[in-house]
Amino acid sequence: MGVGATHIDHIVISTNDSGTVAQTFADNLGIEIKRKMIRPGTSAQLAFAKLQEVVLEFAGPPQVQPGEEVKAKLWGMVLAVEDVDAAVAHLRELGYAVSDPRPAVQPGARIASVKDGTSGVPFGVIQYNAIPAEGS
Amino acid sequence: MKATRIDHVGIVVKDIDSALATYTRNFGFATDAKRGADLPALGIKNAFMPVGESDLEFIQPTSPEGPVAQFAAERGEGTFMLSLEVDDIDAAVEHLRAAGARVGNPNNGVAFVSMKSTHGVNLQLVQRR
Repeated sequence: MGVGATHIDHIVISTNDSGTVAQTFADNLGIEIKRKMIRPGTSAQLAFAKLQEVVLEFAGPPQVQPGEEVKAKLWGMVLAVEDVDAAVAHLRELGYAVSDPRPAVQPGARIASVKDGTSGVPFGVIQYNAIPAEGS
Repeated sequence: MKATRIDHVGIVVKDIDSALATYTRNFGFATDAKRGADLPALGIKNAFMPVGESDLEFIQPTSPEGPVAQFAAERGEGTFMLSLEVDDIDAAVEHLRAAGARVGNPNNGVAFVSMKSTHGVNLQLVQRR
């Protein structure tokens, strides 16, 4: 019994300038930036590319500090699971500190964060089609 | 030049057997028995766990020298490297160098991009076919 992961859903690159780093990856590696958005609540600047089933997410602060060296690092990853509530319950039963599932920025999805016990890798679990669309 | 797929994510760990046991028991992943080895020349041992079309690579330093040991000493365990698949490693390296990036020479279909050319992300390119 595991968390029911089907694949890596997204990998997060944390940076102080998501726009510049995403553009560097686009220019040098031929990765197409498909979407940019501001995260509701935190106002973090996000940019997304997709390489087959895995999304590459560039996450940066709301404001870029002028003149600051652009820095980035590979941060963590989110696993796609079939049932986020079951995954959270499973991990909590094993003693993990896991957040309650919450709506994700991806439409219809719910996500939870695993806070420790993952060999230093910030981990999340996400379930798509977890929130019925309005009117359905 | 176009990166086509996330090949794997490298994770540095202090004890690879313990990490594999944790990820197997708690997350439900399985170690690929056909890959992974003790690689004294590189000062590491590694193992792979497939997750969908990508892999997690667990890397334990076995020597105090080298980038993996340096990462472990400075940051402990954690996400170390992103590996992207490309169709043609030689063309990819040529493209990146023409764009001003610093890239190592390809070796067995693998090339490493200098972190100075990626704003600090440890990036590997790999050609599988």
